Amino acid sequence: MEIRINGLERDYYSEGKRIRALNHVNLTIPANQIFTLLGPSGCGKTTLLRCIVGLETPDAGEIAIGDEIVFSKARNIFVPPEKRGLGMVFQTYAIWPHMNVFDNVAYPLQNRKMPRDKIRQKVARVLRFVQLDGFDNRPATKLSGGQQQRVALARALVAEPKVILFDEPLSNLDAKLREETRKELRSFLTELKITAVYVTHDRIEALALSDQIAVMRAGQIIEIGDPKKIYFNSDHQFVADFIGRANLLKGKVTRREGRHAVIDCAIGSIVGLNRREIPPGQEAMLCVRPEFIKIAATDAGGGRNIFRGKLETLVFIGEAYEGEIRIGDTLLTITIEPTADIVAKDELYISFDPDHCFLLPAQASA
Amino acid sequence: MMKKPTLTTILIVIVGFLTVCPVVMLVVGSFSQGLGTFDGFTTEKYVAAYTDPEFAEIIANTLIFTVGAAVLATVLALFLAYMNNRTNIPFKFLFRIISIIPMMIPHILFSVSWVLLLNPSNGILNRMFMDLFGLRSAPFNIYSLPGMILVEALLDLPIAYLIIAPAMSAFDVSLEESSKVCGASNLRTLMRVTLPVLRPAILASAILVVVRSLASFAVPSVIGMPGRIYVLATHIYQIISTGFAADYGKAAAVGMSALAASITLIYIYRFLTAESGKFVTISSRGFKPAVIDLKGSKYPLFTVVGLICFVLIVLPVIVLFYTSMTPYVMVPSTRALSMMSWKNWVEVLQDPISRLSLKNSLILGLGGATLGIMLSIFVAYVIVKMRTRAAGILESLSFLSFSFPGIVIGVGFMWFFVRTPLYATLWALLIGYVATYLPYGIRPLSSAFVQIHSHLEESSRVCGASPFYTLRRIVIPLLIPGIISGWILMATMFVRELTLSVVLSRPGTEVLAVQILRFAEDGLWGKLSALGIMMIIISSSLVIAASLIGKKLTKIEVVDNA
Repeated sequence: MEIRINGLERDYYSEGKRIRALNHVNLTIPANQIFTLLGPSGCGKTTLLRCIVGLETPDAGEIAIGDEIVFSKARNIFVPPEKRGLGMVFQTYAIWPHMNVFDNVAYPLQNRKMPRDKIRQKVARVLRFVQLDGFDNRPATKLSGGQQQRVALARALVAEPKVILFDEPLSNLDAKLREETRKELRSFLTELKITAVYVTHDRIEALALSDQIAVMRAGQIIEIGDPKKIYFNSDHQFVADFIGRANLLKGKVTRREGRHAVIDCAIGSIVGLNRREIPPGQEAMLCVRPEFIKIAATDAGGGRNIFRGKLETLVFIGEAYEGEIRIGDTLLTITIEPTADIVAKDELYISFDPDHCFLLPAQASA
Repeated sequence: MMKKPTLTTILIVIVGFLTVCPVVMLVVGSFSQGLGTFDGFTTEKYVAAYTDPEFAEIIANTLIFTVGAAVLATVLALFLAYMNNRTNIPFKFLFRIISIIPMMIPHILFSVSWVLLLNPSNGILNRMFMDLFGLRSAPFNIYSLPGMILVEALLDLPIAYLIIAPAMSAFDVSLEESSKVCGASNLRTLMRVTLPVLRPAILASAILVVVRSLASFAVPSVIGMPGRIYVLATHIYQIISTGFAADYGKAAAVGMSALAASITLIYIYRFLTAESGKFVTISSRGFKPAVIDLKGSKYPLFTVVGLICFVLIVLPVIVLFYTSMTPYVMVPSTRALSMMSWKNWVEVLQDPISRLSLKNSLILGLGGATLGIMLSIFVAYVIVKMRTRAAGILESLSFLSFSFPGIVIGVGFMWFFVRTPLYATLWALLIGYVATYLPYGIRPLSSAFVQIHSHLEESSRVCGASPFYTLRRIVIPLLIPGIISGWILMATMFVRELTLSVVLSRPGTEVLAVQILRFAEDGLWGKLSALGIMMIIISSSLVIAASLIGKKLTKIEVVDNA
């Protein structure tokens, strides 16, 4: 089911200061997709989610879920959360400690006064789906973090909601479990064909899970796109920087070469993709991700985008080396395969493919 | 969504009435001619109250009594808390017992048991010492300021301990460790590091004990009055209960200074406890505090702790039970044992006023605690879950009565009730009790509410449950432990209530503690002890019954859902 949000505003007052948690947000969340709200903490993503579910009342605007308007300031409509028919997984899971697994999951159905054997059937099915069959009588507090997370998911799914919402559901799990649960969640949600709205500040989670990502900052949605678009071809410097590690080089476009353009920056002339067709003479930003920077001992072949620099630092992090290379006054972050035969302070050449770096419009704000 | 602001308003009106009304009436009353006549503004009562030649002595007594009790109770509490948290003293469970005895022995009975032990004419201990050492006169006289201070300090020791012990255990041990690394001895570390860091908790404990002893009525009436040592509380009592014409206006005028002192001290106390959060650092490293090996002094020190426990808990009950069985106060001997009988018990149970007071106290304990806890649930909910400005006002209002000396507030209520049909009914006592002891109900419930993460309620709403259904299925079941402990606390306090009742209780509305005070005034120690033991039995069975019901309720909830 599609969610349409129009002109949503929400202000907080803290110590006499007004904080705009949501600043005129317009957004359409397409049906049956996994849609992620990504942004740094305090960007308003959780507030937006809580407005959709009805736990918070916006100051202005309109929210429609499917054909039903659930909130409209102008028309004075506010549908309380229990009447919106949604499912939600909370950051803390919110598993009720005084109930066992069965009761936690059955709760939304008990609420709807469903016959007992039907409840039993549905709960059994959803517990099987989240691979918790046989846990019915386990006290909810006697579960591991991953199991609690799945109980919360089962509870959100059991009433077959139109939309399911996730508020940073993996942030309380340890790193290894988080990775496994992320994969599980992806396969659960793909199987279900359900509209899912997912809030996170973790870029890897967002990239791995989503069909669409909306990046937020300071109460506004900055950019929406699928993971590859956001990663390889973001419109904004902030997004490019937030979604992954990036070397951002400021310069001026000198000429265009078909899909590419040449930009003059501190370390020299660089050729990169120019999808946004920034005309020559204009300021621009070049983004190149560390994993695309290759090193070479010599200036072989005389290809494009080759520079000589000094390896300032080199840190071994297991799966790779992370290094910083100095070219003039500029420091570039690079990742090097862990078998490479280099040491810090080496002088070496780096190169990167013009197809693997891209130009962004220069922005006043960082 | 629209209901919540009105709930807050209703609660502010109720709690505001309960706490502000007696104060307003006290102020109005202190400027009035006599009880029930509000017309005619006069300052005559103030003049009469504060030019009384005895007044200076009363103030001096009050100062010595309250400060003395505060110092003694705090020193004892520091000693016990240090022993428990920092040393390898054996039998640490005793310390937990110390912290819960205020629920077990009513103050008036504790005071009476000390009178029975140490009064100069026939105190059991005094007699024993005289026989043992062949003394001519009694070595101890409990009817004195030191006697009052001793008993009051022992009564307030649990409060002081409850403030100091958590601060002691939350103390970051690395502060002490670094002192020792610098070459300081255990004692020097204690004096130079531990105690200075704990200063806010120590001050807070001392101030709270001053406030409690200023409000205390049991010790000043049972121990002070026979020795003609009057403090503010007993002075007020004397004004309204003795002589031909009770002067409620003068009592109100005297009460104003006690109230002002109390409110000021509580204000300082709250400031200090807010500060202490910054001062005492809680170590997040999860280290167990280093335990100091007491070595040879382990058992001597334990004897001291054991003696305090014995004196606090066992001795009063034994003395009372023994006295209830003997015809008059006598030193235990074979002759005394042969004369023991249930006569006092039978007489008390046949005495119509004692029976009425038993009934009234039971009604007030059960009914009052139930009403009080229901009000507390709503107040705690608003205070914890809705952090609006109105909720802040409600919080301040509901903790205001914490600083009210019972007898003063009783006088204030008297001015109010005398103009209503509630005068001389149990309802008057019930309203007064709930108003005065509301913080004791709110405290456990608000900590229970704090533990209910807002997500637990919100997820219920998202699951399709209405606010009411959420309250029934999620909030109330999770609150049951808090409700039970709040109810127990209130019920036991109501059953033994003395200071407020002494003013508000009229013929027909006698309660247990007041009846015990009457027996004490008449020197009927045997009957007093019998009634006192009954009171202890009622309190203890309330505690036991409530915990059993609590256990059962949580079980039913589980069965119902399975």
